Amino acid sequence: MSMWKKIGDRETGRLCTNRFANYVRSSRVSSLSLSNYKDIVSAHRGSVNSLQVDLTEGRYLLSGASDASAAVYDIQQATDFEGSGLVAKHRPLFVVDKRHEHGHKYAVSSAIWYPIDTGVFITGSYDHFINVWDTNTTQVAVNFKMPGKVYRTAMSSLSMSHMLIAAGTEDVQVRLCDIASGAFAHTLSGHRDGVMTVEWSTSSEWVLMTGGCDGAIRFWDIRRAGCYRVLDQSQSQLGRRPPLLQRATVNKASTSKSSSAGQSSSMKTRTPQRKIANGNVSKQFPISRLPAQAKGSMRQRLHPGLLSSQDRATAHYGAVTGLKVTEDGMYLLSAGSDSRLRLWDVESGFNTLVNFETVRLQTSKMIQLATTQDSSLVFVPCMTAVKAFDVWSGKTSLIFRGHYENVNCCWFSSQDQELYTGGNDRQILVWSPSKSFVEEGKDTRKGQVHSVDEDNWSD
Amino acid sequence: MEERDGEEGGGGKVRSLIEKATNSISPEVDPRLLKAIKFLVRSSDSELRVAYETLMHSMKTNHSQVRYLSLLIIDELFMRSKLFRTLLVVNLDQLLSLSVGFRRNLPLPAPPAIASTLRLKAIEFLEKWNASFGFHYRQLRLGVDYLKNTLRLQFPNIQANATRIQQERRERELRTREILLNKFEMLKENFDSIKSEIQLTVDEIGECLDIVRTKEENMPLDPIDDEGFEEFRSSELQQLRLDSLKEAEKVHENSDNKVVFDTLRELYKLLVSKHLVAVHEWVSVLVRVEVTDHRFRDSALKEFIDIRNHIRSIQRKCEESGCALPKIKDDDEEDIWEEGKIEPFEKGSSSTPNKDARVLSGKSTSNKVKNEAPESSNKSKIKLTRTSEEGVNDSGSLKDKLKAEAPVLNWGSFLDNWGSNRDVLANQRGLELEGHWGRVDYDAVIPAKKIAELNVHTTVYKEERNEIQPCRAPLSKGGLCQRRDLKICPFHGPIIPRDDEGKPANVNPTLGDNVLDLGTDLVEELARKAVKNVRERDKEEARKREIDKQAMKRAKLAKVREHNEAVLRDAAVASTSRSMVVGDLDATSDAPPMSKSKKQTLASMLRNKVTAKDRLAQRLLNTRARDATTRQLTVGEDENYREAFPNQW
Repeated sequence: MSMWKKIGDRETGRLCTNRFANYVRSSRVSSLSLSNYKDIVSAHRGSVNSLQVDLTEGRYLLSGASDASAAVYDIQQATDFEGSGLVAKHRPLFVVDKRHEHGHKYAVSSAIWYPIDTGVFITGSYDHFINVWDTNTTQVAVNFKMPGKVYRTAMSSLSMSHMLIAAGTEDVQVRLCDIASGAFAHTLSGHRDGVMTVEWSTSSEWVLMTGGCDGAIRFWDIRRAGCYRVLDQSQSQLGRRPPLLQRATVNKASTSKSSSAGQSSSMKTRTPQRKIANGNVSKQFPISRLPAQAKGSMRQRLHPGLLSSQDRATAHYGAVTGLKVTEDGMYLLSAGSDSRLRLWDVESGFNTLVNFETVRLQTSKMIQLATTQDSSLVFVPCMTAVKAFDVWSGKTSLIFRGHYENVNCCWFSSQDQELYTGGNDRQILVWSPSKSFVEEGKDTRKGQVHSVDEDNWSD
Repeated sequence: MEERDGEEGGGGKVRSLIEKATNSISPEVDPRLLKAIKFLVRSSDSELRVAYETLMHSMKTNHSQVRYLSLLIIDELFMRSKLFRTLLVVNLDQLLSLSVGFRRNLPLPAPPAIASTLRLKAIEFLEKWNASFGFHYRQLRLGVDYLKNTLRLQFPNIQANATRIQQERRERELRTREILLNKFEMLKENFDSIKSEIQLTVDEIGECLDIVRTKEENMPLDPIDDEGFEEFRSSELQQLRLDSLKEAEKVHENSDNKVVFDTLRELYKLLVSKHLVAVHEWVSVLVRVEVTDHRFRDSALKEFIDIRNHIRSIQRKCEESGCALPKIKDDDEEDIWEEGKIEPFEKGSSSTPNKDARVLSGKSTSNKVKNEAPESSNKSKIKLTRTSEEGVNDSGSLKDKLKAEAPVLNWGSFLDNWGSNRDVLANQRGLELEGHWGRVDYDAVIPAKKIAELNVHTTVYKEERNEIQPCRAPLSKGGLCQRRDLKICPFHGPIIPRDDEGKPANVNPTLGDNVLDLGTDLVEELARKAVKNVRERDKEEARKREIDKQAMKRAKLAKVREHNEAVLRDAAVASTSRSMVVGDLDATSDAPPMSKSKKQTLASMLRNKVTAKDRLAQRLLNTRARDATTRQLTVGEDENYREAFPNQW
């Protein structure tokens, strides 16, 4: 009912278009449930480790699984129907597995699309190789031999000037593989253990974030040597950073205790890195919005001994198993084997102390988190269920139970507001908004089938 | 339960009903309770939600029986209510882990027997649900897929099996139809040739019969005619003569017309064993086949039926004509054996005319052969050869005697050269032997001795089972003792032949002997016997009475002991680990607290058998100790019980 009212408001201009879209999106997200009419027929015989819908069309779902296979599904167009059109089956468009002459030998831990188009996808595997596939011929175009098992690969969705695959492996070094040249462009050293997860910033094409088994989350600017930030779980700021306009006033007045404290400590944390970095850095940090004069003053007060202690800071007790940057690039969510989910302010590098009500997270494997477009919800695989938490309050808003074994990865398609989850039970499940006003038209043709599913009291 | 009642006033009744229904030891849910639950739940959605919660709660009970009954109710509601389905599928994995127990860290609780039925039932239900509602609930499909393809649990596959059987049957039918059609087409092509072939045989038989008849009329009747005209004139004699003539008609076969008879026999065999069978087959094909061309089918059918009737009449004629005809079995299966059976018989029958027309004996032998032929093919050959010999030999008495003594051998290929004493050529079996392994010596000979050695065969001695006679001594309760002992019955002494009433049968013979021996003392002997009998009877009665008395005494003692035990048990109730639960339950369910009969409860299903320790404790506990321990134990056990069975409390 209210939906029609909103539509009317939008027409008359009382409600701006953007807000109306957001309203529809959030209402759809809040009604996510296991989709009955969309079945992805998993081609995998092992646990599904990685899921991604392509960023260009939002149509092709790429999955990588433990049986060394990767498959692509068309999630918009079903291959066939069952139950007189009630259930749409999405069979894989193609599968590459061990039988492929250049296929992986061991589990595929990561499968990602080339961000610019769907002509290329990249798989990383435990057999130490990263393969770059041509989608149309399903042949390997380039491959990279890594020093250890590949845990995670990532490509920047923003990048206009580089084509680098960031790879987290068993090895302590993070490598950037250049597709154009077929060689390693960078080797980033800093982690003291394998790197479980890598994530490109969504606000700068040069910034890379990596989470290692040593519990550290490091930020790298790939144009320069060394990491420029290590997140420290003990460095915290309370609550959400105030919006930009308010912030300016706060800065002037500097009345807010927490923010001022946060800022001062942020100076401390950042300065050590500043020292290693060469002088004129402030312009090259697009995410850094802090006033330049503050930085300068802090640098002077830096104690040289802080450097090594800062370098040893940890973001989690145990390994960092998952990283996810929000769409706006302002916040970073990290999951650790200490079953904690932390929300970090990317700019200040502080733990925001949001208490997520996670019960238990999978500890041994990398997990793939997902956020909604407006960064209001984060989807986290919690053992056999996937939970959706409110990013700002940490409250559980939805629980998705459907997998029979641990869930490894999830992907939220912001285009259709659909959630895809893959788990150890080899299934890829689709969670879609319960059919509402949008799909009433479709309902009519399914009417006669639905009549079967009705009350049937014999007595 | 009380708190929950407080929370939600409305659903209290459903909850208590479900709890009542699940708290039972029977393998089925009480139908009245089930009906009541359904009735209540149907009335409103909120009731249904309460029912769902209660059922899921009781599924978590640590007792397989409770889970089993809950599952039965869940199934009932699941098949009926849509709301219930939508509620249930959300937590289907939980339900499955509680009912199938596929998670290793959550095995099904005791008792194991019911746990296994619970598991089977759960899988069966899941399959049923999936079959009927799978398209509407992804969770059902997922659950089935997971259990079936990942855990590889065995599903009953009821539906799939049914469809498979259906499919198989359809295929079979299709195939038979095709075969029939093929046959029909073949018949269409060959109809004329088949008909003409049969007609040919029939004509030949007719000719043979004609020849036989004319010969009979011409040849053998002449001398009789002469004599008859001369000697017998009266009507009775005429009649007799006609009869004998008729009789003679049937059996005339001698060296002159042997060829004709042989041909006749051959043709008859052909007709019955081949053509008649073929005609039957064609008729059945025509009846079963489904074709559009009805005209041909009907006409062919008609013709075949005519042919069949014709063949029948010919057959009858042949039989009447009296030539000894081979019995031909209609079964096609025994084609191979027919040769074996007929061959020796023909030998026998052909040998009859040689022995100065001993027609009757020949006839009898052939009859014998006919009777014996269908016997087990194993022995037929030996027996047949014997009978044929019997036919030949007049002085059968010695032979019979020998035969009675002779061992019966199982049939085997060695019988082919029975009694032959020849050398055998080893490499002349009709096989082309290539010299793969060297030169082949075509003249190699196996000497007769070696053959005999090779033919030596063993027989296993089989003990003849003779029946062991029952004892047949009269029993006190009436009837006869049916024990079968070899010599001595443990109750009635040595086994002796007895009459129907169980009296020893050999008393009379001994009496008879006595009579023979001491004929004079007969009266005395009888009197003594009578006295003895009377005394014995008295003794018997006395013994019986004694036994009765003893039995009564024993019964009384047993009663006393029972009473004692009951008192003891009462005393020890609620003081031993075992009786604890019973008392507790009774108290909670407002029953008389010390009910003597041990009510079977869910707890009793979990309980182990009564150990010796329990028994000892029961006996040893006196009242004082009892009171003390009662108090002590009640508290602890009560707690435990409440924890273990929260829904029963």
